[in-house]
Amino acid sequence: MVTTTNTKPGRAVLQANQIRKSFGSKLNSTEVLKGINLQVREGEFVGIMGPSGAGKTTLLNVLATIDRPTSGTITIDGNETSKMKDAQLSTFRRDKLGFIFQDYNLLDTLTVKENILLPASLGGLSKKAAEEQFNDIAGILGIREHGHKYPHEISGGQKQRTSAARALVNHPSMVFADEPTGALDSKSASALLGTLEDVNQSRGVTIMMVTHDAVASSYCSRVIFLKDGAMYSELYRGDKPRQAFFQDILNMQAVLGGDRVDAR
Amino acid sequence: MTLVDLVLRSMRKNVKHYYLYFFALIFGVTLFFIFSTLQHDSAVVEQTDLSAKMSSGFQAATVLLFGILIIFVTYANDLFLKRRSREIGLYQLVGLTKGAVSRLLIIENILLGAGAFIVGVGAGLLVSRLFLLLLMKLVGYEGFVNLSFSGAAFLQTAGVFAVLIVITSFRMFWKVRRSQLIDLFNDDKKDEHPKQPKPFRSALLGLLGVAMVCFGYWFANSEYMLSMFLFLNMLLVLALVIAGTYLVFRVTIGWLMTLVRKQKNGHIGLAGALSTAPLMHRMKANAKSLTVITTLSAMTLAMAGFAYSLYYSAEQETRVTVPHDFMIEESGEGAERTVEESAALFAEQLDQAGIGYTDQPLDYILTDSAFSGESLPELLGLEGRTVNVNVFDPRQLEASGLQIEEPAEGEAIIHDAGIAWLMTDEVFPFDAKLTMGEAEESLVIRSLGEQEVANGEAGISSQLTVTAVTYDRLKAAAPEEKVQTVVAFKLDDEADLEEASALFEPFSHGNMRLDYYATFKDSIAYYGIMIFITGFLGLAFLASTGSILYFKQMSEAEQEKRSYTTLRQLGFKTGEIMKGIRRKQAFVFGIPLLMGLLHSVFAIKSVSFIFMSTDITLPVTIAMTAYALIYLMFAVLTIGYYRKTVNAAL
Repeated sequence: MVTTTNTKPGRAVLQANQIRKSFGSKLNSTEVLKGINLQVREGEFVGIMGPSGAGKTTLLNVLATIDRPTSGTITIDGNETSKMKDAQLSTFRRDKLGFIFQDYNLLDTLTVKENILLPASLGGLSKKAAEEQFNDIAGILGIREHGHKYPHEISGGQKQRTSAARALVNHPSMVFADEPTGALDSKSASALLGTLEDVNQSRGVTIMMVTHDAVASSYCSRVIFLKDGAMYSELYRGDKPRQAFFQDILNMQAVLGGDRVDAR
Repeated sequence: MTLVDLVLRSMRKNVKHYYLYFFALIFGVTLFFIFSTLQHDSAVVEQTDLSAKMSSGFQAATVLLFGILIIFVTYANDLFLKRRSREIGLYQLVGLTKGAVSRLLIIENILLGAGAFIVGVGAGLLVSRLFLLLLMKLVGYEGFVNLSFSGAAFLQTAGVFAVLIVITSFRMFWKVRRSQLIDLFNDDKKDEHPKQPKPFRSALLGLLGVAMVCFGYWFANSEYMLSMFLFLNMLLVLALVIAGTYLVFRVTIGWLMTLVRKQKNGHIGLAGALSTAPLMHRMKANAKSLTVITTLSAMTLAMAGFAYSLYYSAEQETRVTVPHDFMIEESGEGAERTVEESAALFAEQLDQAGIGYTDQPLDYILTDSAFSGESLPELLGLEGRTVNVNVFDPRQLEASGLQIEEPAEGEAIIHDAGIAWLMTDEVFPFDAKLTMGEAEESLVIRSLGEQEVANGEAGISSQLTVTAVTYDRLKAAAPEEKVQTVVAFKLDDEADLEEASALFEPFSHGNMRLDYYATFKDSIAYYGIMIFITGFLGLAFLASTGSILYFKQMSEAEQEKRSYTTLRQLGFKTGEIMKGIRRKQAFVFGIPLLMGLLHSVFAIKSVSFIFMSTDITLPVTIAMTAYALIYLMFAVLTIGYYRKTVNAAL
């Protein structure tokens, strides 16, 4: 295991111990995650990379409480999510977590503003407070003027920024992003990543992002490499410029395996 | 592998898609077979022979039933095909020609149809006996009910069903023929994009829709309705209300929701996101089927409510036209006995049977009358014409047990159930000039009596009641042959009516309307069949409209599954999501039901003049409540299906 030590200060938001996940029946099961230990500190922007089938998305789903681990414990913000019941998990997700998906997952019948304000609707937030939240986050992401439009009326990049705004509107403890740039052209992708980086730094939002794109992960403060369901390595950006970090990531990918890191 | 192998394999694999369509087919066969069996049953034929009108009623109902079956089965077939679009595309992708694919589908359809036919006829055989018992109970038939397998019914059902299969097969053929591969693969994803409606246009059309419906309601209940153009007016009202309903679904509801939503300014909440938002955008596509459902519901409700009201009010309404229990009148030239002799004979027989009664001779004067008044209904064409009018003695009527209102001196009260519906309060008073031979007399007709005052022939013409003084003057002036006598009988105990009715038979000379009990029994049988037919059709309509909504919601639930997944991932609980879905279903099922109810209330209101003496609120309410309850069962089923979908979404 190759580790570059450059630990950022801050308390641990996410703590995962010995996470295992198998699919299939008892007799014929495939272990996708083989005992992963992971800690994410407050304000980190963590990227997860790895070749196809390495278990990136499975890890993200398990950590994000969308899926359950076969064994192991996960603690987010002091709550042990691996022990919670489904109903508790729902509330937890709504209050503490934010999600950005590759294919946006916006509700087609809602306008941009309605989509963004959806998670706030059950939070007991006053209309005025919710309005402020919306103006704030939509302003940062540059979609305020599109608030009344429907998803099909805006571009992919704007859709993904809407999705990001929806993830951030509740001030979550942590945001999970699954290939957020996967469906975007390179210009929209870098705009989105730039914004995520900004939000991460200015608001101190903790973000975990799965990606197969070295450019995307170069925006992170740390990149974890998975291979065959286990942690292979991790890289810290430190004070390096993005270009240099990008080179490091490419080098690591070369070490990771002879084969190229391909699309999912 | 031959095509037939492929068919069998694909059918085995597709069972879970099939059941919906299969159910629709079975349901159609069963309903039609039962209806057809009853129609060909000898006991029913015997009963319905009583009135030729009823057998034409049965025939009209058969056509209606066939119509609704076509709508229902083609609808289910379209939905079923849509669900299988991808599969149809796949067959073509691997190299089957369009001809082979449509042959495959048509073979499937025929096999499926044959299966449904066998199951449906079997089910029909089992339950048709139940329906027959119900029918016989409704018409008051007490004989032994025996139902045998009817070959004619079987053939009729087979014929109708063959037509259905041909229609659906043709649609399948057409779908394969017409569609592009890419469309087939995207068919289940096709979703119209939500659009902001144009404010001015939708406000205008939205209000127009409401206005059309309201105008239709108003017109149907206004004085302009009952004119020479009654039939045209009815068509006009029907067209207005149906077109208005369509606009309400297509524009008004979406428009109102847009207004509400705009006001929320983005703070729509989960419940709104799951009800208002998807509803608004589907209203356009759903407008046609919702209009059909509303119209069918309104028709069913109006028919069932009306038929049940007739049945319910048969006793009182019979009293209106047959006020006396029995009445003996002149049986025409060359009769063996005079009225008095017949009455004495009947009285003797009643005495022998130990039945208590009051008998009262009723004298009346035959007159020719000319009516004149400002607001006499044009429809009657009374102006400048003389009609037969019988004038009765109030003292004798009172003695016979009738409760009648006595008019003021120089005035008269008119009794005639036949024209009562036109005799609104504005018509009165009007003048009547009575001619009896040489004598003449002028009276003012003050009001309409609640019922007629004589059975039989004497009660066919309009009847007048006047004061005793006027009556005596008229009688003195009238030539002898213009004064007639009948004898009215009133039993002390209504329980004796049936027995007495049997004794009266020879005295009626074939005129049932002299005998209250016989008339009542006859109308019960008549209305019983009517209530059965409308009830049966209602059930068919209800089941098809409910199923269409259910099927539609099933496919909507499939389309929205992705949204539920997203919502669950975002941390919304099933219970919270279901709250929004229940709200949506309240709209989807509630709006057509409410509009259907409203339409039918106005429809029934506009024909309620037929009921002279009965308040039909109760029977109509019962019929409507029963309908609404069965209908809402489909809503409950639908919500259950959504719950399953939401639970499976994560």
